[in-house]
Amino acid sequence: MKQQLIQLEINNQLYEIPVTPRDLLVDVIRKKVGITGTKKGCGEGDCGACTVLMDGAPVLSCLTLAITCQGRKIITIEGLADEQGALHPIQQSFLDHGAVQCGFCTPGMILTTKALLDKNPHPDQTSIKRGIAGNICRCTGYKKIVEAIGAAADRIATREVK
Amino acid sequence: MEGKKFSQVGRSVTRIDGPAKVKGEAIYTDDMVMARMAHGKIKRSTYAHAFIKNIDYSKALALPGVLAVITGEDAPNKWGIVPQTANEVTLAVDKVRFHGEGVAAVAAIDEETAEEALDLIEVEYEPLPVLLDPFESMKRAGEILIHENEPDNVLHQGEQLFGNPDQAFAGCKYVLEKKFYTSYVNHAFLEPHSSLAHYDPQNGQLQLWSSNQVPHYLHRQLSIVMDMPMNKIRVILPAVGGGFGGKGEASSSDFCAALLSRKTGRPVRVTYDRNEVFVTNKGRHPCHMKMKIGLDQNGYIQAVDFDNTLDGGAYAGWGMVVMFYTTSMIHLPYKVPNARARVRRVYTNKPTCGAMRGLGGVQPRYAMECLLDELAEMMGVSAYELKMKNAVESGYRSVSNLHVPHTEYKKCLQTVVENSGYLEKHGKQPFGKGIGLAGGYYISGTAYTLYLSYKPHTTVLIRVDTEGGVTVHCAAADIGQGCNTVMAQMAAEVLGVNYEDVHVVSGDTELGTFDLGSFASRVTYASGVAIKEAARQINDKLFEVAAGMLSCRAEQLEVRDRRFYSVFEPKKNIEWEKVVDVYTNTVGTLTGIGHFSPPRLKGIDLTRGERVQGANIGHSPTFGFSAQAIEVDVDVETGKVRVTKVTEAGDCGQAVNPMSVEGQVEGSIMFTLGQALYEEMHLDEDGRMMNACLHHYKVPTVMELPEMDTTIVDSYDPTAPFGVKESGEGPVQPTIPAIANAVYDAIGVRFTELPITPEKVLKALKEKQGK
Amino acid sequence: MYLDEFEYYAPKTADETFELAGRLGSQAKVLAGGTDLILNMKQSLLKPQCLIDINGVKEFQGLIYEAGKGAVIGAATKISELEHSAVLRDKYFALHQAARELGSTQVRAMATIGGNICNASPAAETSSPLVALGTKVVINSAAGERELPLEDFIIGNRKTALEQGELLVKFLLPEPAPQTASCYTNIGLRNAMEIDAVNMAVNLTLEADNRTVKVLRLVMGSVAPRPLVSVEVPALLVGQALNSNLIEKAAAAAAGEAQPISDIRATAEYRREAVFVLSRRVLQEAFNAAQEV
Repeated sequence: MKQQLIQLEINNQLYEIPVTPRDLLVDVIRKKVGITGTKKGCGEGDCGACTVLMDGAPVLSCLTLAITCQGRKIITIEGLADEQGALHPIQQSFLDHGAVQCGFCTPGMILTTKALLDKNPHPDQTSIKRGIAGNICRCTGYKKIVEAIGAAADRIATREVK
Repeated sequence: MEGKKFSQVGRSVTRIDGPAKVKGEAIYTDDMVMARMAHGKIKRSTYAHAFIKNIDYSKALALPGVLAVITGEDAPNKWGIVPQTANEVTLAVDKVRFHGEGVAAVAAIDEETAEEALDLIEVEYEPLPVLLDPFESMKRAGEILIHENEPDNVLHQGEQLFGNPDQAFAGCKYVLEKKFYTSYVNHAFLEPHSSLAHYDPQNGQLQLWSSNQVPHYLHRQLSIVMDMPMNKIRVILPAVGGGFGGKGEASSSDFCAALLSRKTGRPVRVTYDRNEVFVTNKGRHPCHMKMKIGLDQNGYIQAVDFDNTLDGGAYAGWGMVVMFYTTSMIHLPYKVPNARARVRRVYTNKPTCGAMRGLGGVQPRYAMECLLDELAEMMGVSAYELKMKNAVESGYRSVSNLHVPHTEYKKCLQTVVENSGYLEKHGKQPFGKGIGLAGGYYISGTAYTLYLSYKPHTTVLIRVDTEGGVTVHCAAADIGQGCNTVMAQMAAEVLGVNYEDVHVVSGDTELGTFDLGSFASRVTYASGVAIKEAARQINDKLFEVAAGMLSCRAEQLEVRDRRFYSVFEPKKNIEWEKVVDVYTNTVGTLTGIGHFSPPRLKGIDLTRGERVQGANIGHSPTFGFSAQAIEVDVDVETGKVRVTKVTEAGDCGQAVNPMSVEGQVEGSIMFTLGQALYEEMHLDEDGRMMNACLHHYKVPTVMELPEMDTTIVDSYDPTAPFGVKESGEGPVQPTIPAIANAVYDAIGVRFTELPITPEKVLKALKEKQGK
Repeated sequence: MYLDEFEYYAPKTADETFELAGRLGSQAKVLAGGTDLILNMKQSLLKPQCLIDINGVKEFQGLIYEAGKGAVIGAATKISELEHSAVLRDKYFALHQAARELGSTQVRAMATIGGNICNASPAAETSSPLVALGTKVVINSAAGERELPLEDFIIGNRKTALEQGELLVKFLLPEPAPQTASCYTNIGLRNAMEIDAVNMAVNLTLEADNRTVKVLRLVMGSVAPRPLVSVEVPALLVGQALNSNLIEKAAAAAAGEAQPISDIRATAEYRREAVFVLSRRVLQEAFNAAQEV
């Protein structure tokens, strides 16, 4: 099938990418844009490792067609640190609290967390859990992830930085 | 460096690879790109047991973009993680033995084309009867053989006898025998297997990047399958997204990638889909067990009788080792003076089972801890009292010749009971709420390599120079457990520098020095011994130089906080870098090399002059311990069991990185909670897996997270480097029985089969009501 | 796990959409959230030659509530919007609860209520509450509009009443009568990302005396090929003052009406048992809530 050029805004940068309609966003990000922080854990929307932010909401890029994403703001894990490379408070908090082991769930988990805290800056334990229930982690047992998110919320609140 | 006054060991430092991972910069095998890279996919059988009559892949080859196709004939050499039982092939030869076994592999210019090509490969099968139950397998071995050279459909069986259990049972006041069944579960690590092979036709060298946890064993297997010498093969681990034992051998993705690369002259990558991870499995062996324990009138264990039929699936894999581990695991953490174990590992037409976190321990532990719980009730004492009574102590030697140099198991039990309020809660809560206690242990490394060899199990090379600072080389595999960080901490400790100063080169069979791999919780202990030796060599040389620079004697010096100090005159001190600089100028790059060989117990027990049974499997330089008290809330109308709180106390010796240890403990508990309550792979009557996806294979989500209170008990093993033991497989052992015991406390039903589903609970409650 | 190629259309207006649907007929599938459709296509269960992406058609989105008249929900409205809607929480609580439980944060951000219904899985989360609430659906095509009660729209396992060229465009929820409360519940193995073994919704209206049942709808999901509207429970309870004995009787009746199958999630026996327990709980909860309205 003939490819067509589409424009995707990823991490505040515009990319012109040749795609066919069947190309999935996760593959376009990983292979055509060439940033591989977004992971493929199951391909069926059950693990959350492929999560990216679409206009601020967490979505599963393995079930999203790239062609449907024109005009939307996509943020991947690579877009979270600031321009000087300083870590986002969520990223820093994950490091400080030991919430990263094999790291494969981490990008998706952090982005889902960002969406959660953007919408609900002071989530209680239940809200945190509900917020990340679609992100599977097999290494950490989740406890340190939940702690890291609570700490990040506090940190963001005191710094008033998003 | 004696005692526990550490400066780098014991720090909860941020992981060395943490920043890359939170930024999405860590490179996993599927993230890599190479020029001209092709993509491979494997065609899998749609029969659980069948002869292959014909494979026609001409149409696949004709598809534009397809570069090559291989079948079993292209790699007939058998491989296997346990060489004595190696019966696996890259792709099926002549017959398939499980639904989903690879029969052909395609390399194409992109993944879509490779996938499309699979549909064009025509395979003709002659179906055979399917054996899905180990007992049926054994019974019908006369008519159906899974492996032609295994006439009973049994991989191996063993019998071990220590003392006189029958006589001992006869003298016991309390004897209990029950059957237990543990389920068919998968590791479900987040990163599917992925292998990228680059065969260079010009120099005949093969490089393989793989999501793997045993680079050395993979290296060996590649040599066998590719029919190439090992010194022409290099295995490199990029970041690895979890293993839990499932990546503790080789995968057909590794071999197919390598073979296709050699055939096409291009790099080839094979990455599994999630369903392939399930059907290639190598998960925990379902065990059909019978265990009998006898206590004397004072509650001391006098005998254990254990019978285990392991449902191994289609091939051998780790099977024999797992089988013998189940026999070994009954000898600890309690004193058992008489024991018999009869085990057999049986073939069935199911995806093969292999090594899974805490291998060979989880299954008998379930049986033993539940039996002890019930025996305590029979005796009228608390399970805590019974366990404390029988718990081993430092210096214990089991009848199976396991030597426990150091243990704080009793302290683990005490801590857990105190912190959880077990004695105040057990038997005293309203119907539906309960608390259960269980303990466990695991090895800190094995005594032997899987193939006969006398070489050290781990070698560490440390290089110090003015350009690189400190670099630790060791081909160990960091799969997320954090061993790179721990090695850096241990090296920094001995060298007197900071953790942050140390670089680690790992997971590369060419750049790193020899290491057996990440399994059996061996790396911290093994690398610790090697690091101490290597660092000591470096210190010896640097101390001499520093002494010259400070005008004192080398024996007077110590190194800490990046300075050399004279212990008698602390004002005499000098920066570490300056000393390194002088050494480098006068001699050159400074290296030290250390080796670790576990104590090699002979096949004979010297004290008794008897041959040690069980091939010394289960022996270890030291052991880690864990105790858990788990609280549940059972919805008695729907049968749903909710774990509300887990209290844990573990003996991991000196924790090198306490935060990492906590992460391993918390992870172990949630990992195993899944097996207790939610996880099970289901096969239909044709042997096809019905839930080979994370949709229907229910791993715990964060919503299942209970309150968790874990403690690293104060412990230091004086025989171990830095006092360390293990953590990461010990804490999986108590979880299942603690939950089962808690459910009993809650609703008065003892579950001897996993998983404990709402359906089973409800059924049991109704039966109980009916009585 | 890769899709076959297909033609992609992204209409901007409803009329454009109907024209395409009429012209392409069975060659085309409608793409809304994609969480079911793309998954089915990846698994090679569906291989449409064309996809009509309706996410650009504003008329298909949004929730409008008019006091006294009820709510109109566009079929392409995201579940996440429904989850956070104050109107649903206050007036159509069963739907609010179902929306909260569906999938995960990510799935809710992508999936649409129309997609959930048109996929017509017997385990769909939103069908039992919508049916319990007396929802009608508006179907549209180039030939014009028609309305159907939702329970007549879902005709079987993955089967709807949509003819070729038709789209489900709106859900019409009637204004709740005074003294009405609705409730939803479900049961699965885990507590998240579940496909239910059983789900259930109740819509209950009380008489002015605050005890007698005036109108009652109990709808069960996952225990029949389509949402099962209970006949016996209203028969037992309408005109009665509710008490726990009566509720227990009604729950038993519901369990008897259920037609569950055994599958990988649960056995028929367990489902029937779950229907009994859940009906009792959800009826009690709805009763309590209706009394406080």
